[in-house]
Amino acid sequence: MSEKPVSYVRAAERLEAIMAEIESGTVDIDKLSALLKEADGLIKFCRDKLYKVDNEVNAILQRMSDDLSVEG
Amino acid sequence: MNGNEPLSLYSLNNLVRNTLAQGLPSACWVVGELSEVRETQAGHCYVELVERDEATQEMVAKARGTIWARIYSLLKPYFLEQTGERFSVGLKVMLKVTVVFHELYGFSLDICDIEPAYTLGDIARRKQAILNRLKAEGVIDLNKELPFPALPQRIAVISSSFAAGYGDFCDQLMNNPYGFVFYPHLFAAPMQGNKVEQGVISALDRIAENIDSWDVVVIIRGGGATSDLSCFDTYDLANNCAQFPLPIITGIGHQRDDTVLDAVAHTRAKTPTAAAELLIHAVAAQNAMLEDVSARLGVAARSVLETRRRQLAATLQRLPVSVALYLQRQGHRLDMWEQRAKAASPERILSLGYGIMRVNGRVVRSIDDVEEGAQLVTTVAGGSFTSVVTEKNKNNE
Repeated sequence: MSEKPVSYVRAAERLEAIMAEIESGTVDIDKLSALLKEADGLIKFCRDKLYKVDNEVNAILQRMSDDLSVEG
Repeated sequence: MNGNEPLSLYSLNNLVRNTLAQGLPSACWVVGELSEVRETQAGHCYVELVERDEATQEMVAKARGTIWARIYSLLKPYFLEQTGERFSVGLKVMLKVTVVFHELYGFSLDICDIEPAYTLGDIARRKQAILNRLKAEGVIDLNKELPFPALPQRIAVISSSFAAGYGDFCDQLMNNPYGFVFYPHLFAAPMQGNKVEQGVISALDRIAENIDSWDVVVIIRGGGATSDLSCFDTYDLANNCAQFPLPIITGIGHQRDDTVLDAVAHTRAKTPTAAAELLIHAVAAQNAMLEDVSARLGVAARSVLETRRRQLAATLQRLPVSVALYLQRQGHRLDMWEQRAKAASPERILSLGYGIMRVNGRVVRSIDDVEEGAQLVTTVAGGSFTSVVTEKNKNNE
């Protein structure tokens, strides 16, 4: 995804909003495919958070371990 | 006994011994605080019992005591089982004692029984006092009021690196059946004895240094229900935890009453494994939410398309009828116009008996348009004729 990284919570909230819009049945048909595409991207983003190792987090943890070993 | 004759020290002590033996009941219950507990290799236990003034906390009485190995080997596990506390310094205890006075070793108490209920009552009172204070200060529920993170994956774990609890916790977490990712990180602290308070507070401080790196704090300890818990019942520890800005989950492995730490924590789990389960469940709930959204999205989108398709189909069906109706209506209107046009035609009017009169080509519209003697051309249905005006009578107005 080329979009800027969002937080999981915000992604989940946006998903809910999209759901509500589509489920209301009043959604503009021209917007439908754009909304579905956005929702698909958000679901993937959220799933990745659950299942894929975030190297950034690991890097932070690694740094902390280093700090600890320096402290003794 | 001769008052002038000095006694040998032994004789004096012997006299004290005998006097005490006669003047005191053979055994009695006594309450006090353990200020020293020392186990010998042979399995005996030497204690020091004190009483303090309630207001000033100054010592007002003190006595040494002995629990012989034969009795201590039974009392020690019994006490631990009943109270969840090791027989150790700081506890208030109720002991059945026999007063002994030995010529060489002096005054001491032979301890033959213990009443755990007294200690339990005292622990409960002390805990309640701490809870009351936290309540009065308005901090007791602060941690509980923190929102639990949607994805508690970055976990700051406070535990002893030697204890089995941390290993159990990580095993449970990392082998979760869903394959969720977790990032546990150990902040080592002693989980037993009087260094717990300081150790855990220091670990919390280290976590707070990078507070944004963590979703949740977990304080765990393995070892089941038989270790001493009083180290988790201190005011400073509870106060620090209650005010910590991340939710704290406890899993300090005990089955009996909550410790003060459990009482202020965001969520209490019974064991390290249960704490891990709780975190896995939280993530699983999000997973289920995503699956639900995913399924609902498909259904909803199909339903939108289906609705639009049906609307279109209905429109198409109505169209020929509308066109026919329209044309029919327009047809009626044309007929009407035709009728009206026909009704207004001069031919029709002439055929009704009217005529058009002209003088010198000009249509006669009133009596003033004609003079006597004028030639009048009258057009009627079928032709015209010429006549002369012989008389003119104007109406009187």
